[in-house]
Amino acid sequence: MLHGLTLGSMYALVAAGLALMLGVARLINFAHGEFFMLGAYVFWFGYSELGLPYPVAALLAPAVMVAFGIAYQRTVIRAILPRSWHVQLIATLATSIVLTNLAIIVLGTQPKEVPTALSSRILDVAGLRVAWQRLLVLAASLAIFWGLHWFVGRTRTGRAMRAMSQNREACAVVGVDVQWTAMVTFAISAALAAIAAALVSPLFNIFPDMGTTLTLKAFAAVVAGGFGYVNGAIAASFLIGLTEALAGSYISYAYKDAIAFVIMIAVLLWRPQGLFGRRIGI
Amino acid sequence: MALLEVRGLVKRFLGVTAVDQVDLAVDSGELVSLIGPNGSGKTTLFNCVTGYLGADGGRVLFRGRDLTGAAPHRVARLGVARTFQQVSVFPRLSALENLLVFLQQHQEEHLLARLLRTPRLRRLEAEAVERARRLLVLVGLAEKADATAGSLSYGQRKLLAFAGALMSDPDLLLLDEPAAAVNPTMINQLKDHILDLHRQGKTVVLVEHNMDVVMDLSQRVVVLDHGQKIAEGPPDAIRRDARVIEAYFGR
Amino acid sequence: MRRVGWLVLGVAILAAPWLVAAVVPRQQRYVLHVLIFTALFAALALSYDLVVGHVGSLSLGHPAFFGVGAYTAAILATQARWSFLTDVFAAGLAAAVVAALVGVPLFRLAEHAFAVGTLGLALVASVVANNWVQVTRGPLCITGIPKPALGPLAVATLPAFYWLALAALIVVVSLYRGLTTFRLGRAFHAVRDNEPLAASAGIDPLKYRLLAFTIAAGLAGAVGALYVHYLSVMCPEEMTVALTVNLLVIVFLGGVGSLRGVLVGAVLFTALPEVLRLAPTWRLVIYGGLLLLVVIRSPGGIESLLRRASR
Repeated sequence: MLHGLTLGSMYALVAAGLALMLGVARLINFAHGEFFMLGAYVFWFGYSELGLPYPVAALLAPAVMVAFGIAYQRTVIRAILPRSWHVQLIATLATSIVLTNLAIIVLGTQPKEVPTALSSRILDVAGLRVAWQRLLVLAASLAIFWGLHWFVGRTRTGRAMRAMSQNREACAVVGVDVQWTAMVTFAISAALAAIAAALVSPLFNIFPDMGTTLTLKAFAAVVAGGFGYVNGAIAASFLIGLTEALAGSYISYAYKDAIAFVIMIAVLLWRPQGLFGRRIGI
Repeated sequence: MALLEVRGLVKRFLGVTAVDQVDLAVDSGELVSLIGPNGSGKTTLFNCVTGYLGADGGRVLFRGRDLTGAAPHRVARLGVARTFQQVSVFPRLSALENLLVFLQQHQEEHLLARLLRTPRLRRLEAEAVERARRLLVLVGLAEKADATAGSLSYGQRKLLAFAGALMSDPDLLLLDEPAAAVNPTMINQLKDHILDLHRQGKTVVLVEHNMDVVMDLSQRVVVLDHGQKIAEGPPDAIRRDARVIEAYFGR
Repeated sequence: MRRVGWLVLGVAILAAPWLVAAVVPRQQRYVLHVLIFTALFAALALSYDLVVGHVGSLSLGHPAFFGVGAYTAAILATQARWSFLTDVFAAGLAAAVVAALVGVPLFRLAEHAFAVGTLGLALVASVVANNWVQVTRGPLCITGIPKPALGPLAVATLPAFYWLALAALIVVVSLYRGLTTFRLGRAFHAVRDNEPLAASAGIDPLKYRLLAFTIAAGLAGAVGALYVHYLSVMCPEEMTVALTVNLLVIVFLGGVGSLRGVLVGAVLFTALPEVLRLAPTWRLVIYGGLLLLVVIRSPGGIESLLRRASR
């Protein structure tokens, strides 16, 4: 159960970033999972190789990924944003392939472990044994989502993001700085993925391929939640996380990866616009 | 029995009622214009009738058959052709091929026959090409037959779209702002074409803003405002109708 | 003069086994192997182009159909001892049926969701292939798939298989041309280029998309069957997302929607990596980079470059 929540939080953070980009900038970013993967490796590097304390390493990951994300945005994304979504999808898929395989070449395929103090400390509550790290993941995710909600609701940039997600053309007219807002959104998106990686790496192994499956599951959540609707993506992510955990224990461990898509397909069959309809907004 | 009958049609978008209980009856052979200020629901009505939008209430009947909610291709196959407000062609096909696409529905052939290109198929194809060329001549695009539709000028694409609507010899033609953004010479051409269609006994419904065209061509004018039908009658009566004048100028 | 050039090329292609034996006798087996792979991949890429290039649906699920066909043929040939032609036919049919079944719900989705949905399909198929061990033997692979036999004629040698693959390619090319020209081709292109307008012309977009999708899947399944009869082994690794990348590269770098483009793409991107002996990871890095460049700078691929050159 808690495992499901942990998974759900991870998927939710990643999917939220994806949904944000889709809603605000109408961008399909298939390389999103690689932000997670690279963030995980940065975290590993900071914590295991450089010996940084956990909070510092955990913040290093999003910092580096935001920088990387901005670089990526200025080069690739700028070029593909005005193009058709076919081009966006293929270009970002290509980037994903390049990043994943470069990671394999540079870092090797052996999974890395990043055990932290909290991942091995267990909390014993009424017979339930729970790693502190898992609670941290859940608590941090909730805090982040609350923060995101506040940011989008209260700040100027947040309002700009909401405006862009509803009517992009009108924004330019009204004086919203579209480029800047898009860049900020992208930075947030990358940071979310990286934070998720820093939170979850102590619990699971890190390997170069992890980005691909994660991208697919995040997309499944985004599609099921109603394309571009962030809260929908978050809800769908938790649904997927919980179902995966349940299926993993009761049905079959092997098939768990397919669960996300079975859910997505089931949701789409029932409601082709996604769980919450085609609400473009945050 | 009217050829096209719209009964109490309702269409809502996010709280705005774009079409509000509209009744419309068009008899076979009539030339009717649908006018009204911007946003009065004319194109929405067209879209509901031709299946591009689902209605929230009311019915659409064509030759007595209930067409409400039918998919656009089904509506087209029953003999209803339409043009679009944003001029619409197949940019990568040649002008000739553009027209050939519109004859699709009349030439349903067995897949295998299509792949093997039987003599019958070749004959039908040749006839289709003939018809397409004649229409291109009619709209003055004969020399552009092999040019890519995307390379044509706006006016030429408009004519091409118009010709496309005629390819399948439809019984009912719904033309959405045929005279918009078109130079005066072409407007006259279009008026002549539409009058020809009328003389051939075709039923035509126009959405138009150009009042000269409306007044010169129409037998009957229907006026929409804020989704409601506010007036209906011969052009002269409409011209003088107080409600119509108010709708256009009174705010 | 051009006619003669084409004739010479045609003869060279037909006589390839002997030419290869004459020119590089020590490498004959290897070169023929590459040529066979190229022919099969070209056929697969053409089937993919039907969906992506001619009907405009960005499907990322083609490996699933290839896999369904491959496994169907593998199982029928090893467990039920079906003859070659029948199991190829069954493979194609199985793949087409799966496509028809998943296509109906998938095509109701908006375009982006469709792409993701097909990607999900490929993933699910891959997971099933890996884990449904009773049927597919999972990572242990299905082995011992017999060499093809056309009646009494056994296709046992490499040159024989080369001609079989070539014949299959020619069949696929003819089908491709038949499907993408005249009325049917125009209907596909109409749906691709302007779906609402196509609908106003009486063309049912769903029907035509599904038709292209199903036929393409059937062809992919049949190619899968040929593939397993050639390798005599079928493993789940053959139907991963990497196959989609390969196909995307061939189709987009070659020239999406163009016969010549896709064929050129297939030759370049199947033969070249083999010749250069690239490690799979490096090959993917280069492919990804090329795909990125081409899709941004020159979406028409090599075909558009060729067209510009011939003007």
